[in-house]
Amino acid sequence: MSARQPRFNQQVLVDTTPLPDSIPKVQEVGASSAPLLSASFFIGARCQAYNDDYMKCKTEANGRGELDCLREGRKVTRCATSVLEDMNKHCLTEFRKHWECLDNNNQQLWQCRKFERPLNKCVFDNLKLEKKIPGAPENEVPVHERKRQIFAQSITTQ
Amino acid sequence: MPQDMPPTGGYEPVQYRRNLPVRGFRPAYYLVAVAGICTYGFYKVGKGIREQNELAREKMWSRIHLIPVLQAEEDRDLVRRHWAEKAREKELMGAESKIYNNDRFVRPTYAVTPGETTK
Repeated sequence: MSARQPRFNQQVLVDTTPLPDSIPKVQEVGASSAPLLSASFFIGARCQAYNDDYMKCKTEANGRGELDCLREGRKVTRCATSVLEDMNKHCLTEFRKHWECLDNNNQQLWQCRKFERPLNKCVFDNLKLEKKIPGAPENEVPVHERKRQIFAQSITTQ
Repeated sequence: MPQDMPPTGGYEPVQYRRNLPVRGFRPAYYLVAVAGICTYGFYKVGKGIREQNELAREKMWSRIHLIPVLQAEEDRDLVRRHWAEKAREKELMGAESKIYNNDRFVRPTYAVTPGETTK
Protein backbone atom coordinates (compact mmCIF):
# COMPACT_ATOMS: atom_id res chain seq x y z
CA MET A 1 0.00 0.00 0.00
CA SER A 2 2.69 2.38 0.95
CA ALA A 3 4.94 1.25 -1.85
CA ARG A 4 6.94 3.89 -3.61
CA GLN A 5 5.60 4.75 -7.00
CA PRO A 6 7.86 3.39 -9.71
CA ARG A 7 9.78 5.94 -11.65
CA PHE A 8 10.49 5.21 -15.23
CA ASN A 9 12.98 7.83 -16.16
CA GLN A 10 14.81 6.95 -19.31
CA GLN A 11 16.42 10.32 -19.87
CA VAL A 12 18.44 11.10 -16.77
CA LEU A 13 20.04 7.81 -15.86
CA VAL A 14 23.51 9.24 -16.18
CA ASP A 15 25.06 10.87 -13.16
CA THR A 16 27.01 13.72 -14.70
CA THR A 17 28.94 14.81 -11.63
CA PRO A 18 32.59 15.14 -12.67
CA LEU A 19 35.51 13.70 -10.77
CA PRO A 20 36.81 15.95 -7.98
CA ASP A 21 39.52 18.44 -8.94
CA SER A 22 42.14 16.58 -6.92
CA ILE A 23 42.14 13.91 -9.64
CA PRO A 24 44.08 14.99 -12.72
CA LYS A 25 41.91 15.21 -15.79
CA VAL A 26 42.47 12.85 -18.67
CA GLN A 27 40.91 12.82 -22.08
CA GLU A 28 39.16 9.50 -22.73
CA VAL A 29 40.18 7.51 -25.80
CA GLY A 30 36.84 7.92 -27.51
CA ALA A 31 37.55 5.57 -30.40
CA SER A 32 35.03 2.96 -31.46
CA SER A 33 35.79 -0.72 -31.67
CA ALA A 34 37.11 -0.95 -35.23
CA PRO A 35 39.88 1.67 -34.87
CA LEU A 36 40.79 0.19 -31.50
CA LEU A 37 41.01 -3.29 -33.01
CA SER A 38 43.05 -1.95 -35.90
CA ALA A 39 45.45 -0.21 -33.53
CA SER A 40 45.45 -2.85 -30.82
CA PHE A 41 48.79 -4.45 -31.59
CA PHE A 42 50.49 -1.05 -31.78
CA ILE A 43 48.91 -0.02 -28.50
CA GLY A 44 50.19 -3.30 -27.12
CA ALA A 45 53.65 -2.68 -28.54
CA ARG A 46 54.07 0.81 -27.10
CA CYS A 47 52.04 0.56 -23.89
CA GLN A 48 53.00 -2.93 -22.75
CA ALA A 49 54.70 -1.64 -19.61
CA TYR A 50 51.82 0.62 -18.60
CA ASN A 51 49.25 -2.07 -19.33
CA ASP A 52 51.06 -4.67 -17.29
CA ASP A 53 51.55 -2.16 -14.50
CA TYR A 54 47.86 -1.38 -14.40
CA MET A 55 46.71 -4.98 -14.48
CA LYS A 56 49.24 -5.90 -11.79
CA CYS A 57 48.06 -3.00 -9.65
CA LYS A 58 44.47 -4.17 -10.01
CA THR A 59 45.37 -7.73 -9.14
CA GLU A 60 47.28 -6.73 -6.05
CA ALA A 61 44.87 -4.05 -4.87
CA ASN A 62 42.78 -6.63 -3.05
CA GLY A 63 39.43 -5.54 -4.40
CA ARG A 64 40.14 -1.82 -4.24
CA GLY A 65 41.71 -1.58 -7.68
CA GLU A 66 39.06 0.79 -9.01
CA LEU A 67 39.92 3.37 -6.36
CA ASP A 68 43.64 2.75 -5.92
CA CYS A 69 44.78 2.28 -9.50
CA LEU A 70 43.43 5.51 -10.97
CA ARG A 71 46.97 6.80 -11.51
CA GLU A 72 48.06 3.73 -13.48
CA GLY A 73 44.77 3.86 -15.37
CA ARG A 74 45.43 7.43 -16.47
CA LYS A 75 48.86 6.40 -17.76
CA VAL A 76 47.28 3.56 -19.75
CA THR A 77 44.73 5.88 -21.30
CA ARG A 78 47.29 8.58 -22.12
CA CYS A 79 49.58 6.02 -23.75
CA ALA A 80 46.78 4.56 -25.88
CA THR A 81 45.69 8.05 -26.88
CA SER A 82 49.24 8.91 -27.89
CA VAL A 83 49.42 5.86 -30.15
CA LEU A 84 46.13 6.74 -31.82
CA GLU A 85 47.20 10.35 -32.25
CA ASP A 86 50.50 9.35 -33.82
CA MET A 87 48.75 6.95 -36.16
CA ASN A 88 46.35 9.68 -37.16
CA LYS A 89 49.22 12.04 -37.76
CA HIS A 90 51.43 9.75 -39.85
CA CYS A 91 49.27 7.00 -41.32
CA LEU A 92 45.80 8.46 -41.47
CA THR A 93 44.80 7.11 -44.90
CA GLU A 94 46.07 3.57 -44.30
CA PHE A 95 44.58 3.52 -40.81
CA ARG A 96 41.21 4.72 -42.00
CA LYS A 97 41.11 2.26 -44.89
CA HIS A 98 41.89 -0.62 -42.57
CA TRP A 99 39.36 0.14 -39.88
CA GLU A 100 36.65 0.89 -42.38
CA CYS A 101 37.34 -2.49 -43.92
CA LEU A 102 37.10 -4.06 -40.46
CA ASP A 103 33.81 -2.29 -39.90
CA ASN A 104 32.47 -3.65 -43.16
CA ASN A 105 33.69 -7.18 -42.54
CA ASN A 106 32.36 -8.00 -39.12
CA GLN A 107 35.70 -7.04 -37.56
CA GLN A 108 37.39 -10.11 -38.97
CA LEU A 109 41.06 -9.31 -39.32
CA TRP A 110 41.70 -11.91 -42.02
CA GLN A 111 39.30 -10.21 -44.43
CA CYS A 112 41.38 -7.02 -44.46
CA ARG A 113 44.99 -8.08 -44.97
CA LYS A 114 45.20 -6.02 -48.12
CA PHE A 115 44.77 -2.85 -46.07
CA GLU A 116 46.62 -4.13 -43.07
CA ARG A 117 49.93 -4.65 -44.85
CA PRO A 118 50.45 -0.98 -45.84
CA LEU A 119 49.25 0.11 -42.40
CA ASN A 120 51.77 -2.14 -40.65
CA LYS A 121 54.52 -0.92 -42.93
CA CYS A 122 53.63 2.74 -42.43
CA VAL A 123 53.42 2.39 -38.66
CA PHE A 124 56.70 0.52 -38.56
CA ASP A 125 58.42 3.14 -40.70
CA ASN A 126 57.08 6.15 -38.83
CA LEU A 127 56.38 5.04 -35.26
CA LYS A 128 58.77 2.06 -35.02
CA LEU A 129 55.97 -0.11 -33.68
CA GLU A 130 55.79 -3.65 -34.97
CA LYS A 131 52.84 -5.99 -34.93
CA LYS A 132 53.96 -9.16 -33.24
CA ILE A 133 51.70 -11.93 -31.99
CA PRO A 134 53.15 -13.45 -28.83
CA GLY A 135 53.29 -17.22 -28.73
CA ALA A 136 53.04 -17.73 -32.49
CA PRO A 137 55.15 -20.60 -33.88
CA GLU A 138 58.64 -19.41 -34.75
CA ASN A 139 59.16 -21.50 -37.87
CA GLU A 140 56.09 -20.27 -39.75
CA VAL A 141 55.20 -17.05 -41.49
CA PRO A 142 53.07 -15.03 -39.03
CA VAL A 143 49.42 -15.26 -39.96
CA HIS A 144 49.11 -11.54 -40.71
CA GLU A 145 51.95 -11.67 -43.23
CA ARG A 146 50.79 -14.68 -45.24
CA LYS A 147 50.04 -14.01 -48.88
CA ARG A 148 46.95 -16.18 -48.98
CA GLN A 149 44.30 -16.17 -46.30
CA ILE A 150 42.39 -19.45 -46.41
CA PHE A 151 39.32 -18.10 -44.68
CA ALA A 152 38.96 -14.82 -46.52
CA GLN A 153 35.76 -14.51 -48.49
CA SER A 154 37.24 -12.92 -51.56
CA ILE A 155 40.68 -13.01 -53.08
CA THR A 156 40.51 -9.35 -53.99
CA THR A 157 41.11 -8.23 -50.41
CA GLN A 158 44.12 -10.42 -49.76
CA MET B 1 7.86 -98.10 -68.40
CA PRO B 2 11.61 -97.41 -68.30
CA GLN B 3 12.91 -94.58 -66.15
CA ASP B 4 14.02 -91.30 -67.77
CA MET B 5 17.73 -91.20 -68.16
CA PRO B 6 20.07 -88.27 -68.96
CA PRO B 7 20.55 -87.72 -72.63
CA THR B 8 23.53 -89.39 -74.18
CA GLY B 9 26.61 -87.25 -73.71
CA GLY B 10 25.23 -85.66 -70.52
CA TYR B 11 23.37 -82.42 -69.96
CA GLU B 12 24.60 -79.13 -71.38
CA PRO B 13 26.38 -76.94 -68.84
CA VAL B 14 24.00 -74.64 -66.96
CA GLN B 15 24.65 -70.99 -67.81
CA TYR B 16 24.77 -69.44 -64.39
CA ARG B 17 26.73 -66.25 -65.31
CA ARG B 18 25.89 -63.61 -67.80
CA ASN B 19 28.60 -62.85 -70.25
CA LEU B 20 28.55 -59.09 -69.83
CA PRO B 21 31.72 -57.03 -70.31
CA VAL B 22 33.34 -55.82 -67.03
CA ARG B 23 33.01 -52.05 -66.69
CA GLY B 24 35.58 -49.63 -65.27
CA PHE B 25 38.86 -50.20 -63.51
CA ARG B 26 39.87 -52.85 -61.10
CA PRO B 27 38.41 -52.27 -57.63
CA ALA B 28 41.85 -51.72 -56.10
CA TYR B 29 42.32 -48.63 -58.25
CA TYR B 30 39.12 -47.11 -56.91
CA LEU B 31 40.28 -47.79 -53.38
CA VAL B 32 43.57 -46.07 -54.05
CA ALA B 33 41.84 -43.10 -55.67
CA VAL B 34 39.48 -42.61 -52.72
CA ALA B 35 42.37 -42.88 -50.30
CA GLY B 36 44.22 -40.22 -52.30
CA ILE B 37 41.29 -37.83 -52.31
CA CYS B 38 40.80 -38.30 -48.57
CA THR B 39 44.47 -37.69 -47.86
CA TYR B 40 44.41 -34.46 -49.82
CA GLY B 41 41.23 -33.37 -48.07
CA PHE B 42 42.62 -34.04 -44.63
CA TYR B 43 45.79 -32.20 -45.56
CA LYS B 44 43.71 -29.15 -46.45
CA VAL B 45 41.63 -29.48 -43.29
CA GLY B 46 44.80 -29.66 -41.24
CA LYS B 47 46.14 -26.52 -42.88
CA GLY B 48 42.84 -24.77 -42.19
CA ILE B 49 42.86 -25.76 -38.55
CA ARG B 50 46.42 -24.53 -38.12
CA GLU B 51 45.49 -21.24 -39.70
CA GLN B 52 42.37 -20.96 -37.56
CA ASN B 53 44.49 -21.47 -34.45
CA GLU B 54 46.76 -18.65 -35.50
CA LEU B 55 43.81 -16.38 -36.27
CA ALA B 56 42.34 -17.15 -32.87
CA ARG B 57 45.65 -16.30 -31.24
CA GLU B 58 45.76 -13.02 -33.12
CA LYS B 59 42.23 -12.09 -32.05
CA MET B 60 42.90 -13.08 -28.46
CA TRP B 61 46.04 -10.95 -28.26
CA SER B 62 44.39 -7.97 -29.89
CA ARG B 63 41.83 -8.07 -27.09
CA ILE B 64 44.43 -8.64 -24.42
CA HIS B 65 46.18 -5.48 -25.59
CA LEU B 66 42.94 -3.53 -25.41
CA ILE B 67 41.64 -4.73 -22.05
CA PRO B 68 43.61 -2.27 -19.88
CA VAL B 69 42.47 0.71 -21.96
CA LEU B 70 38.80 -0.23 -21.71
CA GLN B 71 39.04 -1.25 -18.07
CA ALA B 72 40.75 2.00 -17.09
CA GLU B 73 37.99 4.04 -18.68
CA GLU B 74 35.30 1.95 -17.04
CA ASP B 75 36.97 2.16 -13.64
CA ARG B 76 37.32 5.91 -13.85
CA ASP B 77 33.63 6.20 -14.60
CA LEU B 78 32.70 3.89 -11.74
CA VAL B 79 34.85 5.80 -9.29
CA ARG B 80 33.36 9.09 -10.46
CA ARG B 81 29.87 7.77 -9.79
CA HIS B 82 30.95 6.27 -6.50
CA TRP B 83 32.34 9.53 -5.21
CA ALA B 84 29.34 11.46 -6.50
CA GLU B 85 27.14 9.02 -4.63
CA LYS B 86 29.17 9.53 -1.44
CA ALA B 87 28.92 13.30 -1.79
CA ARG B 88 25.19 13.10 -2.36
CA GLU B 89 24.77 10.90 0.68
CA LYS B 90 26.76 13.26 2.81
CA GLU B 91 24.69 16.18 1.63
CA LEU B 92 21.40 14.42 2.32
CA MET B 93 22.20 12.44 5.46
CA GLY B 94 24.90 14.60 7.00
CA ALA B 95 27.28 11.66 7.34
CA GLU B 96 28.60 8.80 5.31
CA SER B 97 27.42 5.39 6.36
CA LYS B 98 29.47 2.29 5.74
CA ILE B 99 27.35 -0.34 4.09
CA TYR B 100 29.84 -3.17 3.97
CA ASN B 101 32.15 -4.38 6.68
CA ASN B 102 35.23 -4.08 4.53
CA ASP B 103 36.66 -1.42 2.29
CA ARG B 104 36.58 -3.27 -1.02
CA PHE B 105 35.06 -1.44 -3.92
CA VAL B 106 31.60 -2.87 -4.59
CA ARG B 107 30.01 -2.11 -7.90
CA PRO B 108 26.64 -0.59 -7.12
CA THR B 109 23.60 -2.71 -7.86
CA TYR B 110 21.16 0.17 -8.12
CA ALA B 111 21.54 3.53 -9.75
CA VAL B 112 19.96 6.65 -8.35
CA THR B 113 17.41 8.02 -10.76
CA PRO B 114 16.32 11.57 -10.15
CA GLY B 115 12.59 12.07 -9.76
CA GLU B 116 12.35 14.98 -12.12
CA THR B 117 14.53 16.03 -14.97
CA THR B 118 17.01 18.56 -13.71
CA LYS B 119 19.16 19.09 -16.77
